[in-house]
Formats: sequence, C-alpha cells, structure tokens
Amino acid sequence: MADERASGRAASVPPLPDRARRSIVLQYVIVIGILGLAILSLYALDLPSWSRVVRGLENNMLRLLRGFIDPEWGTAPLAITAMTETFFMAVIGTTIGAFLAFPLSFLGAANLVGGTRWAFPGKTLLVAIRTFPEILLAIIFVLAAGPGPTAGIMAMGIHSIGFLGKIFADIIESIDPGPNEAIRAAGGNQLHVFFYSVVPQVLPEFASTTLYRFEINLRAATILGLVGAGGIGLPMIQRIQFRRWDEVSMLLIVIVSVIIVVDAVSSRIRRRLV
Amino acid sequence: MGQPDAAPAIAGRLRTIGTAAIFLALLWVAGRQTDFSFVDLWTGANDFFGFFLRLNPDWRALSQIWAPLLETLQIAYLGTVFGTLLAAPLIFLASFNTTANAPVMWIARTILTLIRSIPDLLYAAILAPILSIGPLPGVVALTIFTMAVLAKLASETVEAVDPGPLEALRATGAGRNRMIVYSVLPQIGATMTSYILYVFEINVRASTVLGLVGAGGLGQLLVTYLNFFDYEGIAVLIIVIFAVVLLIDAASVYIRTRLL
Repeated sequence: MADERASGRAASVPPLPDRARRSIVLQYVIVIGILGLAILSLYALDLPSWSRVVRGLENNMLRLLRGFIDPEWGTAPLAITAMTETFFMAVIGTTIGAFLAFPLSFLGAANLVGGTRWAFPGKTLLVAIRTFPEILLAIIFVLAAGPGPTAGIMAMGIHSIGFLGKIFADIIESIDPGPNEAIRAAGGNQLHVFFYSVVPQVLPEFASTTLYRFEINLRAATILGLVGAGGIGLPMIQRIQFRRWDEVSMLLIVIVSVIIVVDAVSSRIRRRLV
Repeated sequence: MGQPDAAPAIAGRLRTIGTAAIFLALLWVAGRQTDFSFVDLWTGANDFFGFFLRLNPDWRALSQIWAPLLETLQIAYLGTVFGTLLAAPLIFLASFNTTANAPVMWIARTILTLIRSIPDLLYAAILAPILSIGPLPGVVALTIFTMAVLAKLASETVEAVDPGPLEALRATGAGRNRMIVYSVLPQIGATMTSYILYVFEINVRASTVLGLVGAGGLGQLLVTYLNFFDYEGIAVLIIVIFAVVLLIDAASVYIRTRLL
C-alpha cells in the first residue's frame, strides 16, 4: 500500500522486475486484508435494521435538512449568545494551555536539557497529557467542581498543554544554534542565551501554533456543553433530545459560520507570522 | 541591541505593545463573559487532582469493559476505512493539478470546509436519534469526519507533488485518470498511509467517548457508570481508555516513522 504502482499490465508499459511484482502482490494482500477485516467487524457490530434506519432518516433527517433552508430564526439570539460564550471559553482555554505548555516544552527540548535522554521524561509527560480526550477531562471537572464554562475551560487548557508542549518542544529543537554559541562566546550565561537567542527565535512559531490550537479548541468548545461544561453544546443537545430539528439547524448555521470566519482570520494571521 | 536605525525598532515595539494590549483586553472580556477568574484556575486544579487521588479503581469492572472496548475499536476502524474510500475521489477533485475544472475544485473544497467545521462528536450527537442509538451513528460520524480531514490533508500533498512526471505523462497523451495512477499515486503513497494512520489515531480517541451521546463503544458504559455514580467503575474506564489510546498512538507513530 505504501506505493501504489498498480496495474502494471497496461500494454504500453514495460514488464516489471520480479521484486516490484512481489511488492504489488503484497500490496494486494494488505488491501484485501484491510477490507476483509472491515467486512468482518461490520458483521460483528450490533446494527439496527434497514427499515429502522430508513424510518429514522424520513422522520428526522428531512426535517433537519429543511431547517437549513428555513431555520427557526427565533433561536438565533440564543445561538449567538451561546456561541459567544463558546468563543471566549476557547480564548481562555487556549491561553491557559499555551502559558502552561511554555515552561514544560523546555523540559522536552533535547537541545536545552542536554540530550535526547534528558528530554524523554518531559516528552512522555506531554504525550500522556494529550492522550486524555478533552470531553473526558470535562466530565472529570464537572464531577469535581460542578457544571459550567469553568469546567470546559479547564479541560481545554489541560488538553492543549500536551499538544502545544509537544510542538513547542519540536520548534525549540529546530532553532539555529549559531546565536546561542555567539552569546556564550561573548560571555553570556544560560539565561542570556535563553532570552536573547531562544525566545526571539521561537516566539513567532509559538504564536502561530497557539492560534492553530485555538481553531481546534473552538471546535472542541462547541461540544463540551454536551456534558455540561459550558458553551453552545448544552442548548444543542437539549434540542436534539426534543427533536427540534429546525432549531438544531439554526444552531448549526451559527456554529459553522463562526468557525469558518475564525479559521479564515486565524490562518491569515498565521501566514503573516511565520 | 543597539541598532543604527532606531525608528523601525520603535515602531516594532509599539506594535508588540499594541498586540499585547488587544490580547489582554480580549482575555479580560472573555473572563467576564464566562465568569472565569484566576482563582478558578487554582481551585479547579485542586479539584482535579483531588478527584484523581480519591479515585479507587474496582478492577472487577474490567470484565464488563472488553465488549464495549472491542466495539470502540471496530467503530474507529470502520470509520477510518469507509472515510478513506469516500475521500479517495474527493482528494483529486480538490487539488488544482488533478481536478476536472475550476468550479468542480471550488465546490469540492467548499463542501470539505463545511464538513470539517463541525466536530465528530457533534455529528454523532445529531445522528444518534436519527440512526438509532448504537454503533451505527458512531461509524457514520467518523466516516464523515475522516473523509473531510483526509481529503484536506491529502489534497495538500497532491498539490505539492513533483509536476515533472505529470507533464511527461500529459505529453504522451495520457488522460487525467492515467496521470493520477501513474504519476501522482506513486508519489503520495507513503505520505497517504501515514495520514490514514494519523486519522485512525484521532478516530480511536474520538470513539472512546462517542458513546456519551449514544453512538456506541466505551462511552456508553461511561454514561451508565456516571448515572449510578459508580466512581470505581469510572476509574477503571479512565485507565483503560488511557492505556488503549496510548498503545494505538505508540504503534501508529512507530509505523509512521518507519514509513517516511
């Protein structure tokens, strides 16, 4: 699969060497294996009957789609208020993540701690943090501290540390060592190296990565309300439960428009930064 | 930092201060709007670690976990496979060097952007009442998500391929499909496989929690435990999810680094 040099049988193409032919056979075996496993697991799953699915689509899907043409405009003010809260949750969550990831990333950068071996604990910690799904963290915060936007913000902040810290560390590892040596040669100490060489070199890319994480967090923040952690997810799940599809459409329209606008603005700033 | 020309340096400093001021203002408004303060940061962290310290896993819950765990992996796997199959034609329609014509490319790109702006869990939440509670809405949600993400990532790769082989094939009179098969696919094969594995990682992470909205897998068990305030069970579930995601991530990263 790594190399799809398939259908070498076309008349105009010269015959393939044996080695290539064997790798084609291997590719077919892998693809058939993958599809076979898919069919097997499809059979093993507990799927509803076809008629149940068709009925569900007829009863609900059509109304949801009709809602996109003729949404319930009465929900618009609520949708905009809830999406504003979602936006601000993502702003704070991302800021917390970035500020906490900043010091941690230095522990995970091999060129600052003196070798890959010393960076290993820091890197492992960052990867481990990232492993927890955001929504799981949100549930924990809701259980520990009660529902509300604070739970969502904390969940987003913690989850972002892993992602941002890992990428920050990679950025630090890729800096030009020249200025570091120049400062040291001029008699500067480790602190001078850090403030006059490392920080100026990494700051634009840090900012760009943080903005990118903000785009991801804004998406994530729209669903945190599903577990009571603030934002537009709560009104959304309530309307889904009551099958108010025209209102769901309105909420979706607001979510999609805000996310598309924010993405466009953010990617514009990012292109200017780096 | 004694620069000979001071004016640009001052302008640059002013811009930095301006950006920082705007950012701080935004943060202040955000804090007001969401009732968030720095005190919350401290108490929240305390509550969080307190929760973990009080967790007391009851490993008997493990026997209940295997079946939904398998279902979780099946959902992630099927979503990845179906999503990849659906993404395949879209990748080439959304890339400028392999698309049919400009309007088709823009339509494909717009559809992909629209689909990507909704998170997978939200698709699952909407699809669960429509397609009935269970793994099906999970599979469909991940299929949609995989299709859009993969098509976006892959079309960037397709657009970055070496145009030489493409032109050589075009010079021999090859059509668009031949060009894709003989010059684009060989160039993107390894990167594509890496992307598919990456999306599979994301899907495993997502499928562990899809059940929260009724879309099957481990999340459904989590809802049951939450409703019964079964913290011992929740502790086991959290540890299992952590272990599974870490394992799949490690395996996938290992394969990906060997591929590229």
